[in-house]
Amino acid sequence: MEYQALVIGAGIGGMQAALDIADSGYEVILVEKEPSIGGHMAQLSETFPTLDCSQCILTPRTVEVGQHPNIRLLTLSEVIDVQGEVGNFRVKILRHPRYVREDRCTACGDCTKVCPIVVPNEFDRGLAARRAIYIPHPQAVPAVYRLDPDACMGLFPLACGKCAEACEADAIDYDMAPEVIEVEVGAIVVATGYELYQDEAVMAYAYMDHPDVMDGLEFERLLSASGPTGGRIIRPSDRTVPKEVVFIQCGGSRNPEHGVPYCSKICCMYTAKHAILYKHRVPDGQVYIFYIDIRAGGKGYEEFVTRAMEEDRTVYIRGRVSKVFPSDGKIMVWGVDTLTGSKVEIAADLVVVAAAIVPSEGSRRVAEMLGIGVDEFGFYTASDEEMTPVESGVPGVFLAGVGLGPQDIPETVAQASGAAAKVLALFEAAKSMNKD
Amino acid sequence: MSRIGVFVCHCGINIAGTVDVERVAEEIGQHPEVVHATTYRYMCSEPGQQLIRDAIAEHDLDGVVVAACSPLMHETTFRRASSAAGLNPYRCEMANIREQCSWVHEHEPARATEKAIEIVRTVVERVRGDEELEPFRLPLTKRALVIGGGIAGMEAALDIASAGYPVVLVEREDHLGGKMARLSGTYLNFTAAPDLLRRKIEQVLNHPNIQVLTGAQIVGVEGYVGNFEVAVSGFKVSGSRMTKSETSDLKSETFEVGAIVVATGWDPYPLERLPEYGGGEIPDVVDGLTFEGMLRDEGGIRRPSDGQVPREVVFVQCAGSRDPERGVPYCSKVCCMYVAKQAMMFRERVPEGQAYVFYIDIRSAGKGYDEYVQQAMEEHDILYLRGKVSKIFTRDGKVVVWGADTLSGRPVEVAADLVVLATPMAPSRRAFELAKMLRIGIDQNGFFSEAHPKLRPVESLTAGIFLAGAAQGPKDIPETVSQASGAAAKVLKLFSQDEMVQEPTVAYVIRELCSACGACVEACPYDARSIHPVWHIATVNAALCQNCGACVVACPNKASRIHNWTPEQILAMADVVSW
Repeated sequence: MEYQALVIGAGIGGMQAALDIADSGYEVILVEKEPSIGGHMAQLSETFPTLDCSQCILTPRTVEVGQHPNIRLLTLSEVIDVQGEVGNFRVKILRHPRYVREDRCTACGDCTKVCPIVVPNEFDRGLAARRAIYIPHPQAVPAVYRLDPDACMGLFPLACGKCAEACEADAIDYDMAPEVIEVEVGAIVVATGYELYQDEAVMAYAYMDHPDVMDGLEFERLLSASGPTGGRIIRPSDRTVPKEVVFIQCGGSRNPEHGVPYCSKICCMYTAKHAILYKHRVPDGQVYIFYIDIRAGGKGYEEFVTRAMEEDRTVYIRGRVSKVFPSDGKIMVWGVDTLTGSKVEIAADLVVVAAAIVPSEGSRRVAEMLGIGVDEFGFYTASDEEMTPVESGVPGVFLAGVGLGPQDIPETVAQASGAAAKVLALFEAAKSMNKD
Repeated sequence: MSRIGVFVCHCGINIAGTVDVERVAEEIGQHPEVVHATTYRYMCSEPGQQLIRDAIAEHDLDGVVVAACSPLMHETTFRRASSAAGLNPYRCEMANIREQCSWVHEHEPARATEKAIEIVRTVVERVRGDEELEPFRLPLTKRALVIGGGIAGMEAALDIASAGYPVVLVEREDHLGGKMARLSGTYLNFTAAPDLLRRKIEQVLNHPNIQVLTGAQIVGVEGYVGNFEVAVSGFKVSGSRMTKSETSDLKSETFEVGAIVVATGWDPYPLERLPEYGGGEIPDVVDGLTFEGMLRDEGGIRRPSDGQVPREVVFVQCAGSRDPERGVPYCSKVCCMYVAKQAMMFRERVPEGQAYVFYIDIRSAGKGYDEYVQQAMEEHDILYLRGKVSKIFTRDGKVVVWGADTLSGRPVEVAADLVVLATPMAPSRRAFELAKMLRIGIDQNGFFSEAHPKLRPVESLTAGIFLAGAAQGPKDIPETVSQASGAAAKVLKLFSQDEMVQEPTVAYVIRELCSACGACVEACPYDARSIHPVWHIATVNAALCQNCGACVVACPNKASRIHNWTPEQILAMADVVSW
């Protein structure tokens, strides 16, 4: 038995599983494809239903992971091959070059200042720009810059080289090459998370490419005090404060014809949160929410939605939206109110679509490598969804978080600890057997 | 005289963009006991920590102040670095000049710099008075107690036991299985579920590390994390390993355990509290759990009043839930799904029957759940009516349901043979009493409170006590099972240590000043204080003390103190503040 675990994905689920295993005295290899850890939770402004600042509760966790003596963190990395079986998986991990040495970079930011290239910042969902050499956000763990080879003017041959000149720590290494490392682990936790549905044509809101029609994560960045606007709500097209905001729930969800048939579970709650936070920032603004059912099942959730309706005077309209289109500097929203049976037309300044949650890109490949099942949408399947929800059916491979299906943060965290328990029980049992 | 080093962090531009960090270092360097003061871009980075370690050796420092971010962020980092260089870690403190200074005074750099200097000055005073401390080491009993033998408690017990630790599983009923044992089946796996549960119960009963106590009641809880003493009374010991004679006597015993998992589940809301729906009055108005029993009955579905097979069945969702006036403002989360299941099962057993479901919102958020309800509507012709039910009464042997269809805006009347009320999932009957014994929190609805709603969902605020299942709030079986394993992980993490290490910055008593008035005993929210029966002075149970300072405030003689937060230190800090 290799008393070491592999955790794939370093969002809140993967981090929790890694910490629970590492705190119990076992080594963990934590693999993350992005340059920094924290997953989507790092992008959130506040969290429902307590309106805790997401960064504030998350950063101590990311720092803990980054500094944990039992966690070996591999960012910009992907698992490319898995052989073997429970107790002894042989795993190949591809480490993409960062072109910045983690052991030297002090995150001073001198490199960014001299970089001439400007591209959209993925972390801010394109609402702000970054340089080719950048750090995703100020609290990023590891606190190390990364040179994006696709954005850079050219590495082979070197076209610019200004960042290396500016770097006092001598951290920039243009010759860094991709590296494949091999590790042996006894157990694996898969926590690869989610993405938001991007196919606007399928979502039937053909204007998702209009700057004033955005998805929920973009709106999180607008709300975030550490986001591109410093938490000020201004619409991207003309930087004015939107006074009429329409939120459209089930953007692609619960829509077998034009999207996915399943419910994305978290949108009702985060939309209520968006409405409340918007009203805190724009007290004279008005929020409209189109919904099919309000799904507020969770501790304090029902009360939270009631607060959005009663205290923040959000207008909830039960019905689907048929059309969204720009007109005279406004975004027109056509929908139906199924409770009155009448048509509704709203000339909005900003439209936020709660886009469906889909499995993270690459989750099918991970499933294939590990021999675990996926459903028709690409979510991992548990050996029994109800009775053994964190077990994949492949011994030694456990599941946690939204990779299994849409769920919120507390569910993900509890489930990740659950997956960690299975790993710990496996290791402890093998250890006591060896002792006997 | 101390030899203190001060290390001022730029935090990139987070601090240095507002505060003149060089001036801070320069000013504080004037202090007679500060022998070294410097700045660095990122003190928490490896080179930054190395700079501190080197300075401790080079300048023979006996105290360190790191002026940077909140101690919540990096106190551990810098104490570890100090300790690596041979300094007692409790003589390293952080001065927060980021969250409490640069971030909030972005537009006033000059005054922010002055404030930063003052903050650092106060912390220098604190370090001057800091004692060298050593962490406490406490023994740890590596045995867990799980309260509740439902699916949550069994899952937690099995995970802990599989890792090789002994578990005492306490169940109030005379059998395991909890509410799940009363269900006909689960949503997705209707037929196999009872079998899966039976196997789980057998696994628990046969596990060599699990001792099952049934008919048991927790009567007292003493101690603290790692060393709880739990008194259990009136129980029988079950399990295949037990001989017949052992299982027959009622026993009482006190168990020493290191951790406790609370998995006490839920109880049905009393039907009598729904008089407008005929609850408790009309025999053919039943709750969801009763209907589960009817589905399990091999004789088929028979209504209670006359044993006839019901043809028209009305299901009423949110019968009590989401109703703040009734004191149940919360959503019970599982009803939308079990009602869809029950309606489909009814249609399968009584194909000529008709099922109606009154709902407010259909909350089928879960894997495959929305599709499941769609199936109920489309393939099983179950009629979903969006609206509340106003009244249920009997007329000519029928149970008449008056409601509204908010989609058509019309009143609806259904003359039914049977009405199933999806009543609230209420907290377990003994939850309040148990919470008091365990000293754990309870929320406004009577469910146990988790330590943090987002990031610590399976921990209580009391160290060593964890939560699983519906005891913490309504949830379905898969969520309960995941969470129960999560609680087990926390127990395994605790048991992975050989002893417990406790922070030494706890309260203590100056014996000469103590008059044994008991004010500290009253003030302590953690039961850490008591009056010693022989010495007749106040004492501190360091394992229970959470360093809150309530006793310090309450003590009229200044006999109660906290290590490294003494009145002398606090006054010295106040003395150097210029405003």
